[in-house]
Amino acid sequence: MRKNKSMIFWFCLPAVLSLLIMFVYPVCRTVLMSFFQVESVTSGVGEWRFNGLANYIKIFGSQTFRISMKNMLLIWLVGGVITLALAMLMAVVITSGIRGKKFFRAAIYMPNIISAVALATMWIQYIFNYDYGLLNSVVRLLGGDKVKWLGSDMKFWAMTAAFIFGSVGYYMLIYISGIEGIPQDLYEAATIDGAGQIKKFTRITMPLLTGVIRTSITFWSINTTSFFLWTKMFSPIDTEEYTIVPVVYLYDIVFGGKGVATRDAGAGAAVGVVLTLIIIAVYLIVNRLIKKSDLEY
Amino acid sequence: MNNINWKKELRLLPCYLIVCVWVVFTAIMIFWILAASLSTSREIFSGEVHKFATGFHWENYATAWRVQNVSLFFRNSLLYSVLSCVGVLAISAPAAYVLARWEFTGGRALRIGLVIAMSVPIIMIIMPIYSLAVRWGIKGWVLLVVLYILMRVPYTTIYLLDFFATLSRTYEEAAYIDGCSASKTFLKIMLPLVQPAIITVTIFNFMSVWNEFFMALVFTTNEDMTPVGVGLLNIINSMKYTGNYGGMFAAVIIVFLPTFLLYIFMSEKIIAGVTGGGVKG
Amino acid sequence: MKVKKLFSLLLVSALSLSLMTGCGNKDSGASSDAGQTGDDAGQTSDDAGQTGDDAGQDDNSVPAGTEAEQTGDNAGQAAGNQYEGVELTMWSMWTSEEAQALVIKEAAAAFEEQTGAKINIEWKGREINNILTAALEAGEKFDIFEDDYRRIAQNYNKFTYDLTDMAKAIDYDSYSYPCLNNQVIEWAGNLNSIVEQPQVGGVFYDKDAFTAAGVTEEPGTWAEFMDACQKIKDSGVGPLALDSAYSDFTFYQHLVHQLGEEKLTELAANGGWSDSNAVKAAQAVIDLVNAGYLVDGAPDEFPSSQNKVGFGQAAMVVCANYVTAEVNKATGTEVNWGLFNYPAVDEGTDNAAAYAGANSLAITSYSENAQAAFDFITLLTTGEFDQKMADTAAQIPADSRNTAPASLSGTVETLLAADKPASWCSAINADENLKTSFKSIFNELYEGKYASGEDFCKALDNLY
Repeated sequence: MRKNKSMIFWFCLPAVLSLLIMFVYPVCRTVLMSFFQVESVTSGVGEWRFNGLANYIKIFGSQTFRISMKNMLLIWLVGGVITLALAMLMAVVITSGIRGKKFFRAAIYMPNIISAVALATMWIQYIFNYDYGLLNSVVRLLGGDKVKWLGSDMKFWAMTAAFIFGSVGYYMLIYISGIEGIPQDLYEAATIDGAGQIKKFTRITMPLLTGVIRTSITFWSINTTSFFLWTKMFSPIDTEEYTIVPVVYLYDIVFGGKGVATRDAGAGAAVGVVLTLIIIAVYLIVNRLIKKSDLEY
Repeated sequence: MNNINWKKELRLLPCYLIVCVWVVFTAIMIFWILAASLSTSREIFSGEVHKFATGFHWENYATAWRVQNVSLFFRNSLLYSVLSCVGVLAISAPAAYVLARWEFTGGRALRIGLVIAMSVPIIMIIMPIYSLAVRWGIKGWVLLVVLYILMRVPYTTIYLLDFFATLSRTYEEAAYIDGCSASKTFLKIMLPLVQPAIITVTIFNFMSVWNEFFMALVFTTNEDMTPVGVGLLNIINSMKYTGNYGGMFAAVIIVFLPTFLLYIFMSEKIIAGVTGGGVKG
Repeated sequence: MKVKKLFSLLLVSALSLSLMTGCGNKDSGASSDAGQTGDDAGQTSDDAGQTGDDAGQDDNSVPAGTEAEQTGDNAGQAAGNQYEGVELTMWSMWTSEEAQALVIKEAAAAFEEQTGAKINIEWKGREINNILTAALEAGEKFDIFEDDYRRIAQNYNKFTYDLTDMAKAIDYDSYSYPCLNNQVIEWAGNLNSIVEQPQVGGVFYDKDAFTAAGVTEEPGTWAEFMDACQKIKDSGVGPLALDSAYSDFTFYQHLVHQLGEEKLTELAANGGWSDSNAVKAAQAVIDLVNAGYLVDGAPDEFPSSQNKVGFGQAAMVVCANYVTAEVNKATGTEVNWGLFNYPAVDEGTDNAAAYAGANSLAITSYSENAQAAFDFITLLTTGEFDQKMADTAAQIPADSRNTAPASLSGTVETLLAADKPASWCSAINADENLKTSFKSIFNELYEGKYASGEDFCKALDNLY
């Protein structure tokens, strides 16, 4: 077929421009900004003062930022292991040949389509409520003492649990489509050989899903670094130590949270760069550790 | 084979148990909110939403819709979602088409750029865009529509690209012989052929934009441009002053219901969209 | 080759974009001319405003203070359509259908009719404090905005209009609250905001619960307070409700009484809590917690605990006055509210201190119609409309000649008598890197996490 140069040009131009405006320019500017002292996010380059690594030193010297990083790490690691494990469990269960497969799949994915603001409200106002909440009703039914789910000990885990509940469905779908891509005759052969469910899972499903698992880990990492809304919902009046994450820290220092008098867009940019580096590092490490399965099916 | 294989079902019992617990939990949660949305604040805080001692308070919905402005937030979200879904197709579909069809200088770079852009965290983008918007005086809903369009371009282009690549070239050759111009071929022949992919990706884009929160929070400067997510947060924040919790839960239900209904009818398509995008990564 | 072409095209488009911005700047330059004409108009109206003010001043001698605005209105009418063609834009912190917003709309309509001006109100909602700084820096076109008076005085100071002269002309001091105005002047260097909704803090309590428990007098000292708590507890009601969102505020009251805000600021900045009377303050609270004087579940998630006052399960809550309206509405009851200052503590440095604050209105420094804007603010915050605001939104009137709604009786007097208001936790909020830690440690104090005042102070000192 003939190559139509002008058509290629005009067809690509909008996409190229949007890439430049929305991604290339902002990323470059943010990286640059992280090496300058910039008070207001709106100030022009002329008002920037170069100060080397001072922004990075500042944020890593900040108690609040360190706590926020620790929280994010916990969400990523603990939340990630639980979410991905639960998602895998659900995926295996749903593809195990149960009836109502489509219904269950849709029902478990459903929290993802609800506005997270609504979802978080349900958890805070009902599930975790001290007096009449669902969890405490169950606890009392079992004869235990009521628990302060949103007290300082539990708040972080309460938030993480709610977040996990909202996330499982998505990763489950990814795993289901991975499992469904595995040819049935492999399982049938295994059954003939006398392999049990567990053996089938560890010998067939897992090895063939490494590529999908790798993808899901990368997705999870990107999701946790942009964790924001749940913190906002679980600390509605003001930012709290139990729930703070880096993006909230950034939002507070760049746009000036409640009662924050000094703003620092340069430090905010440094937070952004740090998070991006983390994503890249995770991506590289995961790619090195989990080799894509060479198995063809 | 209509007979139920009881032995098999029994073996699957643990499986049923696991999913049922999960689904029942979800259902209880939603029913509680539904009940709360029909109760007074007093009933909610005394934990008696299931009794409906004072009847069903449908007026909560009226209050939420009118006084709390949910109708306005709804209109805005709809506007954002629809406009950006259309806009992103206008940018992505042509690019995906030529990228899938021809090898050309810069094409590979563009493709890689798009893939990388998909995983750039939003916080790396938001500050420069914010200052640009302020300095150029771009504001109002136009700004958010433009940002949503630009934000969805990488994903949409990559997604459509794979579908264009699977189409046979005979269509274009036939069209060329018939004297159809290249761009006309694209519009009249190729686009309709990838219609299923367009529907899937549009559903996915629609939901992403509908549920987007961070950019909306940063760039919303006015009630007239507040989408439902941020609007709901505002409503919850203003509870401090209004104390109408029944109305707040009614607002939650109003925001939840349309997506839920849409989901019931289109869950297959939506799930296909999510998995399609997910596995590609 | 193609790449080059593409690049040159991109360059061209980039250039044209930058040209466009250049043009944009020029445009704004042109419009500033127009602005100057507008300024002149403003000055003329200035005079007109003053005539109106004179009328207002005369009126002060009339005993019925609330009628003042009525005459003021007449004066406005007498001046004719003095602001014909003037367009004011207001950024409001409310959403368009809230009680406060309805009053503002009504006042705006009245102002438009009286003066011929046009008022556009943009409803920004509570998140306004996240957008104001950027908007002011960018010089967005608006004349009036609403926010917390402290933020206006400290954060937006550069962009606000000095209202001193205009306020003097209408004798603002005669009906406003001196403690709030002085505070603004101390922070900002001049009067840059007008109070719209004043707030006072302290211990809000259910009078009926006190009577039922046999507490006849409002406790004035910590010992009396603990005594009252015991009586209330014996009567089967939880003495003190507390939501974790207000843990910091509640203990801050205690600390301010014990140490004074000056010392507190110093401690918060440099540490040294263990060697101060903060140990004593923390110990007092630990004793309170151990005695079981917090209601079951406290510190709870907002608003669960404070609502218990409405359900008759708790008797007191430490907060600002809006708690009364919140609890009444959320629980559908009319609690018989009373207010007393946080009790005096032993060896306290500043036992009289009480929180006071306000949502205030300010005018942008670049407003072209400052006097018109000011006149509208005055209309809104005095007389009829202020009374309506106080009644419908259950708030303290900004015009001290008006009367507070029943649930807030006594608050106007408290505010008028106050000397220097204590801030809303400003000492512990000053350092953004420490404030979240302070908050959580304060909260843990009420959760009973610390065995003694020493432990608590050690935890604070470990932050430095």
